Amino acid sequence: MQPFTVLTAVAAPLPIAKIDTGMILPGRFMRRHRRPDHDYGEAFLYYLRFDEKGQPRPDFPINQPAYKDAKILVTDSDFGCGSSREGAAFAVMDFGLKALVGPSFADIFQGNCIQNGIPVITLPEAAIHDMWRQLRAKPGAEMTIDLPSQVVVAPNGARHSFDISPLRKERLIRGIDDIDVTLEYRAAIDRFEIKRKALLPWLPSAHRP
Amino acid sequence: MTAPRTLFEKIWSEHVVVTSPQGEELLYVDFNLINEGQSFLAFDQLRMEGRTSHRPQQHLAVTDHYLPTINRDRGTAGMPNPEIRRVVEMMDENAAEFQLPHIGWSHRDQGIAHVIGPELGISQPGMLITCNDSHTATHGACGVLGMPIGGGNQLRHVVATQTVWMKRPKTFRISIDGSLPEAVTAKDIILSVINSIGVGGATGYAVEYSGSTVRSLSMEGRFTVCNMSIEAGARIGMIGPDDTTYQFLSGRRHAPTGSDWDRALAYWRMLPSDNGATFDRELTFDSTTFAPMVSWGISPEDCAPITGVVPDPSSIADLERRRHIERALAYMKLKPSMRLEEVAIDRVFIGSCTNSRIEDLRGAARVLKGRKVSVPGMVSPGSSAVKRQAEAEGLDRIFVDAGLEWRDSGCSMCNGSNGELVAPGERCASTTNRNFEGRQGRGALTHIMSPPMVAAAAVNGRITDVRQLTQE
Repeated sequence: MQPFTVLTAVAAPLPIAKIDTGMILPGRFMRRHRRPDHDYGEAFLYYLRFDEKGQPRPDFPINQPAYKDAKILVTDSDFGCGSSREGAAFAVMDFGLKALVGPSFADIFQGNCIQNGIPVITLPEAAIHDMWRQLRAKPGAEMTIDLPSQVVVAPNGARHSFDISPLRKERLIRGIDDIDVTLEYRAAIDRFEIKRKALLPWLPSAHRP
Repeated sequence: MTAPRTLFEKIWSEHVVVTSPQGEELLYVDFNLINEGQSFLAFDQLRMEGRTSHRPQQHLAVTDHYLPTINRDRGTAGMPNPEIRRVVEMMDENAAEFQLPHIGWSHRDQGIAHVIGPELGISQPGMLITCNDSHTATHGACGVLGMPIGGGNQLRHVVATQTVWMKRPKTFRISIDGSLPEAVTAKDIILSVINSIGVGGATGYAVEYSGSTVRSLSMEGRFTVCNMSIEAGARIGMIGPDDTTYQFLSGRRHAPTGSDWDRALAYWRMLPSDNGATFDRELTFDSTTFAPMVSWGISPEDCAPITGVVPDPSSIADLERRRHIERALAYMKLKPSMRLEEVAIDRVFIGSCTNSRIEDLRGAARVLKGRKVSVPGMVSPGSSAVKRQAEAEGLDRIFVDAGLEWRDSGCSMCNGSNGELVAPGERCASTTNRNFEGRQGRGALTHIMSPPMVAAAAVNGRITDVRQLTQE
């Protein structure tokens, strides 16, 4: 997983409230394999980005050429609400986004994004609305997310500080997920396994199901 | 001298590898069951990260959710929906690639994970077992700490490390004492408990079921009780192991043998809660007051004794509850105060990890023997082994002669992910665990009850007090 420290990149505004996980990753994509050359990037917000004929909707913000390289999405409230489908975070990641900034996010979705190295940053509504205005006035404008300092820098240079739990911050900065954290206890797990096997040698193993 | 401890505390503490400052504990997973629903997400991510399975032999993949219960002899070609077929195939591919033992669609022992885990003797007292399914507490009937995990990140973590981070729940003892009135089954016990404490009543707790009623239940009955712990909000539900448990396990494929059996038995006997162990919460029930239960609403707590009526929202003081009942009755197309026995049904389903074991099938067959059903329906045994046993006992003939379909094993119409759905607007009497809106299909109207009650409903074409049929 990529460590996240300071990111300066094109930001795209997405002023639509309550975008749920079913919109982020429509159900029809959920039964398909996710591979490096065939990931969920296409599926991200599919029905918002494309019309019934599969043609890109030109008026949809992130379809516009100025946002082609966007790595930051400035969302509206309750982004990621709805079901807990974990694929939604993969769709965000596979689309090429590196960070989300918005007034509020669904809890489980937020956790799933952070698990995949994507900071999900909550700022007051007024600050978000101000960012949308700036991004629309100057499409392709860049923003900066400074995770160590816990600051988002708007296109006009305004600095907004944000809260994040120390645990999540550390994981993002070090680029580690929960498996990496656990593997730091590898020796303890190995010792546990040896001891348990000696004490309870009859525990089942399924090599002949 | 150590303080008296509960069954849950003993097993939990024995599995703690690391305690984190954030209050979560890293627990060792003795065994993990995997179903095909959403698990491909975990495997896709592991593959993209280049990770492998740490202890492949401590997993068993089981194809149960998406597998149709007909046309098995035609293989994957017998699965007409390409998306469903693809999910089944992905489980085959992922199990092979990650070297995980797999009971797939064509395996002789195919069945529902929560039925075959105990059936194969994998679910043994004192173990910690996880599965990417909310009904994993089922294994708790064997004195197992069975815990549901998410099909994405958590499953991925268990495959890669054989451990899981969990916050320790509080403890809750639900004691049920007394003899059971006629026709009252384990399903009625757990529905009565959920009706009393609500669907959030045990949230944040690990439940232990105890008392003379629970002690006198067969293992099949105990599985049903533990299975629906999650419908009361508890991710964990367990019963202390006793001679019933040991007899059930003895001789099963993965159960210990010889001197291992003796050692295991000595260990298992130390597991039940000590006298004087304290629980964070306790409740007691008198089972002599229980009756066959039927759900009328859209949440498992929305149920009543068969002799009762549909509630009248206008008589409910609590505003939130009144609104819920109004919404439930609108969805379920029921009128306030109508007698439950007046509700006509269109279809029945007997199956699911809640009620598909041999005793459940015998209970339904006793009612159906020599009778004809008035509505269509199907019976899906919990495993291929249950199916073989039922056929050896002639139960399949009773179901077929009565007019029901005798299917293969799987989760099937409980949630319909295999495509076997209740049609929109159809009313189904079902032995399953959830009566949520759309659970059995869009617009499906579900009434959950015990297998004999579903059989009685099938005979009369309406919800029926099974005692009227069995007392004739």
